[in-house]
Amino acid sequence: MANAKQKAEAHHDHHGHGEEHFRQKHLMLDPLPRGRMNEMVMESMLEKPTWKFWVVAGFLSFIVVYFLFYKWGVLIANGQGEAGVMRPDYWGIFLVNTVFWIGISHAGTFISAILRVFRAEFRRPFTRAAELMTTFGLVQAGFSIFMHLGRVWLAYWLMPYPNQRMLWPNLHSPLTWDLLAITTYLLSSTMYLFLPLIPDMAMARDRSTGWRKTFYKTLALGFRGTEGEWAHLRNAMNIFAFAIIPVMFSVHTIVSWDFAAAMRPGWHSTIFGPYFIVGALHSGMGAAVLVLAVIRGTMKHMDYFIRAEHFDAIGKLMLIISMAWAYFFFNDYMVQWYGGDMWTKIMLHYHEYGPLNWMWFGMLFCNVVLPWAILWNPKWRSTPWLVGFVGIAINIGMWFERYIIVPISVTINRMPFTWRQYEPGIEVPMGIGTVALFILLYMIASKLIPLIPVWEVQEGQMAHELKKFGRETVVSVSELE
Amino acid sequence: MTTSSELNMPEIAMAEKEAGKWGMVIDQDICTGCQACVAACAMENNIAFVGEEDSGYGRAMHWIRIERFWEGEYPEVKMTNQQPMMCQQCGSAPCEPVCPAFATVHSMAESLNLQVYNRCVGTRYCANNCPYQVRAFNWRDYKRPEPLPNQLNPDVTVRRVGVMEKCTFCIQRIFKAQDQAKAEGREVMDGEFTTACAQACPASAIVFGRVDDPQSLVSQLKERSGGKTHLKELGTLPNVTYFNGG
Amino acid sequence: MSEQFSRRDFLKLAGLGAATTAVLTGCGPASRYVTREPYQEMPEYNYVGQSTYYATTCRECAAGCGLVVRTYQGRAIKTEGNASHPLNLGKTCARGQATLHGLYNPDRVQGPSNGDWDAAIQLVADALKNNKPDEIAFLMGMAPDHLFDLVTDMANATGMNAPVRYGALGMFEARATLSKAAEALFGQAGLPFFDVGGAQVVLSFGANFLETWLSPVSYTRGFAGLREAKTKMRGKLIQFEARMSATGGKADEWIPLRPGTEALVALAIGRLAAEIRGGSMPRAFSSVDPLDVAARSGIKLEALEHIAEMVAHSSGVLAIPGGAALGQSNGQAVAEAVLALNAFADNLGKPGGVYLSALAPSQSDYSRPASAREMQEFVEKMASGAFKVLFVHGVNPVFELPASLGFKDALGSVEQVISFATFPDETAAEADFVFPDHHGLESWGYQRVVTGTSLPVLSGAQPVVSPYYNTRATADVLIAAAQIAGGAFAEALPYTDEVEFLQTKVSALMNEADGSFSALDAATFMAYFQQHGGWWKNTDSRLAPASSILNSNIDAAEAEFAGEGEFFLVPFVSPTLAEAGANKPWLQELPDPTTTVMWNTWVEINPETAHELGIESDDVVRVISEVGEVEAAVYLYPAIRPDTIAIPFGQGHTAYGRYAENRGANPANLLSVHFNASGDLAFAGMKVKVEKTGVKRPLSRLEGLGVYGGEGIELH
Repeated sequence: MANAKQKAEAHHDHHGHGEEHFRQKHLMLDPLPRGRMNEMVMESMLEKPTWKFWVVAGFLSFIVVYFLFYKWGVLIANGQGEAGVMRPDYWGIFLVNTVFWIGISHAGTFISAILRVFRAEFRRPFTRAAELMTTFGLVQAGFSIFMHLGRVWLAYWLMPYPNQRMLWPNLHSPLTWDLLAITTYLLSSTMYLFLPLIPDMAMARDRSTGWRKTFYKTLALGFRGTEGEWAHLRNAMNIFAFAIIPVMFSVHTIVSWDFAAAMRPGWHSTIFGPYFIVGALHSGMGAAVLVLAVIRGTMKHMDYFIRAEHFDAIGKLMLIISMAWAYFFFNDYMVQWYGGDMWTKIMLHYHEYGPLNWMWFGMLFCNVVLPWAILWNPKWRSTPWLVGFVGIAINIGMWFERYIIVPISVTINRMPFTWRQYEPGIEVPMGIGTVALFILLYMIASKLIPLIPVWEVQEGQMAHELKKFGRETVVSVSELE
Repeated sequence: MTTSSELNMPEIAMAEKEAGKWGMVIDQDICTGCQACVAACAMENNIAFVGEEDSGYGRAMHWIRIERFWEGEYPEVKMTNQQPMMCQQCGSAPCEPVCPAFATVHSMAESLNLQVYNRCVGTRYCANNCPYQVRAFNWRDYKRPEPLPNQLNPDVTVRRVGVMEKCTFCIQRIFKAQDQAKAEGREVMDGEFTTACAQACPASAIVFGRVDDPQSLVSQLKERSGGKTHLKELGTLPNVTYFNGG
Repeated sequence: MSEQFSRRDFLKLAGLGAATTAVLTGCGPASRYVTREPYQEMPEYNYVGQSTYYATTCRECAAGCGLVVRTYQGRAIKTEGNASHPLNLGKTCARGQATLHGLYNPDRVQGPSNGDWDAAIQLVADALKNNKPDEIAFLMGMAPDHLFDLVTDMANATGMNAPVRYGALGMFEARATLSKAAEALFGQAGLPFFDVGGAQVVLSFGANFLETWLSPVSYTRGFAGLREAKTKMRGKLIQFEARMSATGGKADEWIPLRPGTEALVALAIGRLAAEIRGGSMPRAFSSVDPLDVAARSGIKLEALEHIAEMVAHSSGVLAIPGGAALGQSNGQAVAEAVLALNAFADNLGKPGGVYLSALAPSQSDYSRPASAREMQEFVEKMASGAFKVLFVHGVNPVFELPASLGFKDALGSVEQVISFATFPDETAAEADFVFPDHHGLESWGYQRVVTGTSLPVLSGAQPVVSPYYNTRATADVLIAAAQIAGGAFAEALPYTDEVEFLQTKVSALMNEADGSFSALDAATFMAYFQQHGGWWKNTDSRLAPASSILNSNIDAAEAEFAGEGEFFLVPFVSPTLAEAGANKPWLQELPDPTTTVMWNTWVEINPETAHELGIESDDVVRVISEVGEVEAAVYLYPAIRPDTIAIPFGQGHTAYGRYAENRGANPANLLSVHFNASGDLAFAGMKVKVEKTGVKRPLSRLEGLGVYGGEGIELH
């Protein structure tokens, strides 16, 4: 099947550009010997860490230990009073962070599964990086929601488990749905991360010694690369790729129901499901592009695997998602405003004119204005640092969005006597701790597993070739399966 | 009368169409905002005091609070009639379906919203979903220095950190009166007992009793014209009726 | 099992071998709470698992409401009103509810300061014996209770100085002015009783009768009667005051007037009403010019006319003069002018009108607490060394008297100061010895009900729990000391203990007719007295006064104000704390009915004025009077005159336990010594300056952002 996009681009670029240009530009058309490529990936992983790496890792470890775990101990010992929650803001930044991290985790599945299902070839070098984001992001989301619990040591009560008193979780509660959905998502995304990792593990096993050999050997599950193994693996991955997509959509829809099923002004909105999903993709793509920019800038040989074309492709996706987000935001706003409910009106007014209205405007700037201004330009969106910067901005904007939905909206309820403004406490350092843990996990992963699914790249390169029709150079992609 | 509080799980989220059992009538016109009910409630129900900083940050544990608003500007300024707010013991309570742990459940026998302290894990969803904002959370383990704990009411659980709590309509008094009546082989009489807030109120602005008994004082007061329940449009079927002036 | 060994601990140990998970849950903070007392420490008179109820009298203020206290295994659990007590009919105020936080307060005085009660009694006996009787002085709380009778007996027999009763509430209520005015008008001293419940239109001149005034529970019931249209139309309350009190907040019409013009306004309303009604103009109203009054008071003439219309045409008009209106240089005239309105409304001695309160059983005439001028004389005597021994009981004058009166310094001139304080208050801190009395719920006694009910009531008190600490009843200490001192002292108090004294006094009522109960022997009578929580007569014994005030001239000059400054100062008693509530944590956590502020002192300033001065909410300001200054955070109060500021009284303790100490500010430090004609302090007659300090200290408020209503909310 021909890749229509690349074909169009090829057509566009054909004047004055030859084959050389295609090879420079497109990873898929710039194959290296498989051995060399495997070597490059191994080198990028085994490269002796510089002192900078250790400084950063040490610093992050300190933040994780102190801000995340020590402060969490303080929180458990002293109660939620350490955080900024109170009446009426019973939910605060912990919930903001939960939604935020679940949002981040969405890009992994989106890039990996949806793009795989739709055979978007540009996905190949960075599916792994994105899947890791899913798993690591979900870990932070889980931490955040447990931080939020008043009696976290009893969190297992939320799980259905057989017990003498026949006590079960309440299946009417969106939080129970949420817990089940997130758990399902965490398990399935971890498996989905692991399946494409097997051939790479086998590759690494064959090229390493010592404890690493044992490590990779264990994880490779004895993968030898036989035709039968490949067929099974492809089957499994295809099933998972299709199966995980509804899980992904359901997770954030259910997260949105935590709010939409509640009868608070500003929350009780039917559009919240898709709005949250698009929001999640928005922040997730932003985070993914940021991760790619960082990987490309810091790790050896990565400029070969991750090229401007990838930023260009993701940039286009980001632009489209940004437009979709803008639509849903507008839709949600209109529906709420047009509903005419007095309290909702006051709440919308509070967003725009309240003491934190800079956040509302900041959200619109970061989520809409900035992406639209930068990503429409092919040259700009091919510039890794610039797209990375947009990625940061989108994530800030999306964090603002969740902050507006949780503590700011919750300030306004139907009992005006209780309206009070939220002032964050221990959530801030603990939130920073989750960011640090996320980065730290990534840094550890970059030293342990190939961040590039090298077999997938090789597979893609095998499928692509350049053909000449007269004076025209044309890309052709053959069907592999 | 059987009082086994049977929990019929699938029905919990459904609206109860019939009237509740226990109810309150509050006459805002004669409520003076003197806080006697608040103090009485605190003493009866072992409510913790939280100190200056936390009470000023929306963390006061009052199960009943007296709201008052301002209208107009000086010199035509008016303090609106005081509005005591406590758990409205909704017939179809928004707090109940959202608790993932079944810590917020409905008592079919008493038509009350129960809070099961030792089942609460502290998600605070119930409080978020309560349109009356009457739930109080134990943000910390608020200390009562010795010998203050001597005052604690042995009929009421002392709550600890991380647990949601709220007005119970003094359920310990309801049960006590019912047990007494049962032992004497009779029904509970109207006015035989009342909640701590209604008992203390110097203006008798709070009246408590059986709303399913048309002969009771509370039912008769409720039948007067001009009564309203708060946020009726939400369909929560509250059991507290307010009369405001005139 | 030791005291700290909890039930859960026991279970935990018992189940240790069985299940590890059980132990893990047991390790949670839940294990701290349930502690079990050993059975051998169980107090007598108790059935296990059953509550015992005792009737007694509330000692939180001087009103004398009856309480029924629920006790459980020797602990007081809950106070409720005594439903048969004629004063409060089963109701209480917040302070009555929180009295348990006094009983079990962590900061009580736990024993005599010299460590030994025998030595303490010897010391008191020596003080009585070794000093001339007129060198011994007693300063007591406002309540006319058994201890006051006991000391009065002692004073009468020995020539000792008569005990002086004082309380800040009495000062802020201007009780002396009220009773002087009653005496001048009706020819009889006493506290006027205003039948709010029976009235149709109530004009209140600064009377905060729903908060702390005279007998708040009884007056609140009256207010409910005024509002609740059972047999009549819903009554109206019109409040005249510069700062909206909680009472003013309930008014149908709140009319801000310039402080000091209350008398003029009352007379002007009288005059206008008399004009409407026609006939001859009463002399009392004849000299006042309504137009001039309107200009001076800041009330529009139309508003005055509108009220006069009501006064002229309605039946059941009642006018009440309140504390802040009386506590001014012209307070006496205010009282007279307001009572003249009542005379004009012809309600004296009628339902819905003014009575003189019934005297309590066995009381021959009204004895009021000392006015501020009498306290000044007292302090002067202290300072001059006329007193060698000063006994202080039931009052905290270092805190409750204006600092400018110099009580604290004068204490230094008294050789021996002995305090009987239950709590470590400021006066106890200055005393040479503290011999703590029991808490009110641990003690015997009786108290006369001064006002608030139509019946003569002697409210009875009995211990509901055994004393928690090594305290001793002051009456017992005095009786024992008097026996040791011998002579006239021993003759004056020929009792074995407090209970015998009480029995003697109470059983004297056995012969009185028309009582709430009767008995044939003293022991039974006393038992009934305890059981019922007091003894009262069954007939309305209020006195119906007659007055010729309408035909006399009232000199209603505007009040004079002391001090330089642009603001009138309205000090008011905190409705939740009053003068002695600050050490009870749950009273501290009760929001003020008007501002909803908890745990601190605030200064109320009109938002417009504050804006002009560049003051924002929560800014700490310094309020400076001619004698002192206090600092407190600003509350922008929409219902106060722009030229007036108000500060609640009740906080600002420098001692008095952990919950009260170093919290807030005491406006009594601002009050300078000026009296009205009756000898009451002109506490509402000060002008003060306000300065910014540049510090911001957020007040703890219950109210949120939305108290100015729904949609029009100011969000910044």
